[in-house]
Amino acid sequence: MFKFLKRFRKKSPWILHYNTGSCNGCDIEIYACLAPKYDIERFGMLNKGNPKQADILLVTGPVTKRARARLLRIYMQMPEPKVVVAVGACACTGGVFRHMYNVENGVDRYIPVDVYIPGCAARPENIIAGIEKAIEIWEQKSRDRLELPKVCTKTLDGKQPIDRRQIVEELVGKYTEKLNPEELL
Amino acid sequence: MKTLLLVLAILAPLLGGVIYGLERKVKARMQNRMGPPILQPFYDFFKLADKRPLQVHSFHSLMGIAFFLAAWFAVFSLMVGPNLLVAIFLHVLALLFITAGGFSVKSPYSVMGALRELAHILAAEPILVFAVVGLYLASGSWNVIDILHSEPPPLLKMPLVFAVLLLTLPILLKKSPFDISEAHQEIIGGWEIEFSGIYYEAVYTAKWLEYIFVYFIIFLFGGANYLLGLGLVLLAFLFVALIDNSTTRLTIHHMVKFSLGVLLPLAAFNVFWVALWGH
Repeated sequence: MFKFLKRFRKKSPWILHYNTGSCNGCDIEIYACLAPKYDIERFGMLNKGNPKQADILLVTGPVTKRARARLLRIYMQMPEPKVVVAVGACACTGGVFRHMYNVENGVDRYIPVDVYIPGCAARPENIIAGIEKAIEIWEQKSRDRLELPKVCTKTLDGKQPIDRRQIVEELVGKYTEKLNPEELL
Repeated sequence: MKTLLLVLAILAPLLGGVIYGLERKVKARMQNRMGPPILQPFYDFFKLADKRPLQVHSFHSLMGIAFFLAAWFAVFSLMVGPNLLVAIFLHVLALLFITAGGFSVKSPYSVMGALRELAHILAAEPILVFAVVGLYLASGSWNVIDILHSEPPPLLKMPLVFAVLLLTLPILLKKSPFDISEAHQEIIGGWEIEFSGIYYEAVYTAKWLEYIFVYFIIFLFGGANYLLGLGLVLLAFLFVALIDNSTTRLTIHHMVKFSLGVLLPLAAFNVFWVALWGH
């Protein structure tokens, strides 16, 4: 049954675009892909602003310290199967902002990245080729590959306020454990 | 005739999907793009079935499914049911289901979308009621079969009502100047934001049913002249795509003022004129 459904993945990849503090160069190129000249809607791609319905996460920019919690939250909100594409030099390695005090040197320190697209800014042709590669990887994934951490284990009665920062910190810990931080540092 | 309508009502989700695919293609061609294939909505449908569903709580997902079922019931009672008014009320019921679902989660976008959906109901449904009353006055019956056999087409007696309905279509189908309740990239889909996987599929398919519902009411204005009815549907389809491509989003106040201040009096004028002096 799922094998039959898997065939339709490559025909409708819905993308979600998140900017983790980039200079907007790569964002403009992503929007150029959606515009009439490159028109990626002909492959069935839609720019969904909603992580719960998206399949491919396009991340631009070096991860700034302010953006990393949001990046993780967005990644967590996307249902499996999903792929992550790092667009541009900053998202891959930190680019010209590498080793600055407010920058985390690339997306893969926090979430697993499947495809890296080089360039400053990445060209639309490169982005389309990268998404094509991402779809190939996406087709191999199954929907139960990664076990999502369950945050709400106790029932919330609505009286005590939820500390979102604490929840995100807990999740950051869980994901960096999974990624084996010694290798990345 | 009756069996044909029954088959149409059963196949309504499939047909609606094709209409949605055609609309995406036509909109893309208007912008000088290639556009997705016509069967694209069905590819999306199968892909969404493979995604892992994330539920907020069961009531929210249930309301999504209830929206789909009520929308299908509305199409059923429009095509085979005894009374057109019942179809309109079922349509309102479907929208109220999704509004309740939107209010039931904590996401502010969802709540805001549900609030705006209420304004959509306020703006569009009175006009739908007037359209149905206009069809009754022109053909003398609430039944679809009788309307489809009425000899001078209802369009001739109700030109203003038809024009008003044409201008209401963007409100009903949530198309661009009045795509306020789902406003992509502004409130990210409104009430549909917390649905995912197969539960989003229910909402996604229910929107295809809206197309069938609305375009079938347009078709009824052709009366016994089915070619005229199809022409009207084609006109409405192209009109909605053109308006969607060439306008930007207005606010909720513009929509309610335009609908209740301009469109509703025009429709009421036509209906009362025919009711008082039409014979």
